[in-house]
Amino acid sequence: MNNAPPVCEPLFLAEPADMPQGRDHGRPKHDELAMEPIIATEDLKKVYRLGKLEVFALRGVDLVVQPGEFLAVVGPSGCGKSTLLHILGGLTPPTGGKVFVDGNDFTTMDDADRTRFRRHKIGFVFQRFNLLPTLTARYNIDLAQHIQGDGFNPHRFDAVVDMLGLRDKLDRKPFALSGGEQQRVAIARAVICEPKILLADEPTGNLDTENSLLVLNMLRELNRAFRQTVLMITHNPEAADVADRTVRMRDGRVIQD
Amino acid sequence: MIMENVLHRPVRTVISILAVALEVGMVLLVVGMTHGLLNEAARRVEGVGADVMVQPPGSSFLLGLTSAPMTIKLGNLLSELPHVKVVTPVLLQFNTTGGLNLIYGIDMATFDQVSGGFVYHAGGPLKNPDDILVDDWYAKANHFTVGQTMNLKNHDFRVAGIVEHGKGARLFIPLQTAEEMTASHDQANIFFVKCTDPGYTDDVAAQVRSRLPNYQVLSIREYMSLMTSNNLPALNAFIAAMIAVAIAIGFLVIFLSMYTTITERTREIGILKSLGASKRFIISIILRETTLLTAIGILGGCVGAVVARKVILEAFPTLSIDLSDAGWWLRAAALALGGSLMGAFYPAMRAAQLDPVDALAYE
Repeated sequence: MNNAPPVCEPLFLAEPADMPQGRDHGRPKHDELAMEPIIATEDLKKVYRLGKLEVFALRGVDLVVQPGEFLAVVGPSGCGKSTLLHILGGLTPPTGGKVFVDGNDFTTMDDADRTRFRRHKIGFVFQRFNLLPTLTARYNIDLAQHIQGDGFNPHRFDAVVDMLGLRDKLDRKPFALSGGEQQRVAIARAVICEPKILLADEPTGNLDTENSLLVLNMLRELNRAFRQTVLMITHNPEAADVADRTVRMRDGRVIQD
Repeated sequence: MIMENVLHRPVRTVISILAVALEVGMVLLVVGMTHGLLNEAARRVEGVGADVMVQPPGSSFLLGLTSAPMTIKLGNLLSELPHVKVVTPVLLQFNTTGGLNLIYGIDMATFDQVSGGFVYHAGGPLKNPDDILVDDWYAKANHFTVGQTMNLKNHDFRVAGIVEHGKGARLFIPLQTAEEMTASHDQANIFFVKCTDPGYTDDVAAQVRSRLPNYQVLSIREYMSLMTSNNLPALNAFIAAMIAVAIAIGFLVIFLSMYTTITERTREIGILKSLGASKRFIISIILRETTLLTAIGILGGCVGAVVARKVILEAFPTLSIDLSDAGWWLRAAALALGGSLMGAFYPAMRAAQLDPVDALAYE
């Protein structure tokens, strides 16, 4: 693997034109205030309704994440980790409380605004890799740039591909890649647009020990090299040790920070 | 990505393309066949060489649809009009043997004067009451040769000659024989009038109208302008019905194909949404994929229509399929594209509205 420091040009010298505007409710953007949290939740609740049954996934989560921080969220299955990740990624709206991400209040944003925000500011890494099976690794990575709409950035592409050691895998489709390689492609896709926040949902859950270590080291390296905030959900205590800070959840609440 | 999706499910892709091709081919062939038959029938009447045609009162311009004949003595009256060179009577009969055709009962001498004479591929003119002339297309389709006996309307005829197509009908028998077969003695359905000069056509037609006020009098030019599907509401309705069936086939196949695609790719749509793909982006993927399939289908339909025309005409030489109207090619393509996009729109909307969390969890 090429571990040379990547040369990356920030893609967002200015806010993208299609980013939601005027939704920050007076909170200063973190650029304006050095240590303004990039993620802040207040009494965050999420209730799923299954017919007449109400399932409380989050029962009031208070969480603060600083820019550039690598945070691990651990807890048993069903404690609300994934729901928290989905809300922070704008995939689903909260039922109650507040959630500010990079100064934007998700509770006041509609689905289209959250989608635009996600497109420019958030990268996802999933346990099951979630690569498009019909596309090669190259096009899976390029897809994120295509969706973002700023066009193909070969400089950035080369830097990410080299950093993740994917140069000779680019023309393979996911079925022709090992689990570790697929996850590296997924990480490349997540960071190719240089999002401010990387959300990883059990990124090592489907990997053996060797590949798990490799992926964790890459996340750590990306966090350091690109100053990306990383929020990683994991069951694995060893994986959580890579993070700067670990938050424990149980029954929809943060029980230890 | 569109191309990869299309190639990923080859059977689905091929079926969708075939459905669109069938739709386009069907529209082109139905329209081509109706227009072709009308044009060919009109050209054959034009090929008689007359300038004016006279039919009984209340006649249709579709020849043979009126059984009421006229007395043959009217021919003498018409012959005496100024600028009339020659008049030939024709007694029409329908023939259902070897396809639906008209039989012209003709007076050989005057018909030759009006038409300039037949071009014989084999044999010669009508000499005996049981002689028949067949045109080359009919002879080829039914494998007739000179001297062969053919039975029409319970009457045995001997093929006296095979003539070049394009002079009114495909089958010609002596007028007297036609009169006996229909028990219409000294009667005719049409008088073809040849003027001394084509420039007198309107004058002659006007004179005939003044002498025979209730009769159907048309210059050949007027007749040709009437022989379009626009003047045949039932034919237009038939064309419209066939086009509707064709569009329905394309619509339903594309709808089902795209609906299946969306279900199959639910997780992929969730992935796209997690990457920040907007509803418009997802709709555009589905619609662009549909457009690609439809474009290939349109191309296939056009090629298929040309090939099918060749095959049909080889098997049925008396048919005529006119695919020369570029407007209908464009219309068929537009109808196919419109139908396909309508068929894909609901699945595309459904895909765009999928909940990303549910979609990502889809197995």
